[in-house]
Amino acid sequence: MKKNTFYLIFGCIALALLSIFWYSIELHTPPLIEIAFVVGIVLVYLAKRKVTDLIHDERDMKITEQATIRTMQVFWVVFCAFSIGAVMEILHIPEFPREAFLMRSPVLLPPRMMGYIQLALLCLMIFLYVGFRIYYAKKYGDFETDEE
Amino acid sequence: MKNKIKVFRAMHDLTQEHLAQSIGVNRQTILAIEKEKYIPSLDLAFKISRYFKVNIEEVFIFDEKTPTIMDS
Repeated sequence: MKKNTFYLIFGCIALALLSIFWYSIELHTPPLIEIAFVVGIVLVYLAKRKVTDLIHDERDMKITEQATIRTMQVFWVVFCAFSIGAVMEILHIPEFPREAFLMRSPVLLPPRMMGYIQLALLCLMIFLYVGFRIYYAKKYGDFETDEE
Repeated sequence: MKNKIKVFRAMHDLTQEHLAQSIGVNRQTILAIEKEKYIPSLDLAFKISRYFKVNIEEVFIFDEKTPTIMDS
């Protein structure tokens, strides 16, 4: 299979997933999109294995490796710092003396909201990865031009 | 790590695309090595020098000032 054929299949799968996502919202059945998402990704991986003109060489692997390492180095610090704060807010550690406990400042964010922020941080990790990937691709000569 | 891939390519009248296909990498990788943006692995360096039927030292010149993987 040619690279362009793979991109076409990938686009079709993405469109199908988008439609299923909308249909899943209409029917109010989250398992539908969850199962469809897993099936879609498996299909993409299977299609990618059939591509003959897509070379993934050592430089590509190095770019991927460096971008992944840097993403994790930044992400775990931000995520853990926020999570520690969230746990402290949720646990409501009693303060002494009793007057101090009664005068306790209100919770900044409800626990459900903190969960949403954690989910948002996880989604932002993808953008962080893309940013680092572009940086390392540039560093290892991906956007270099030549006379040929 | 300096290299003479461009010179050897010119001597053998080879394009980057042809060399890349022969040793199983992308053309962009050959370009990045030529421009000294990427230091190839020992495996790839040997493949390139074997392709030109010369010793590795004839194609690649070790430069102590070049940052290594550990510096990046």
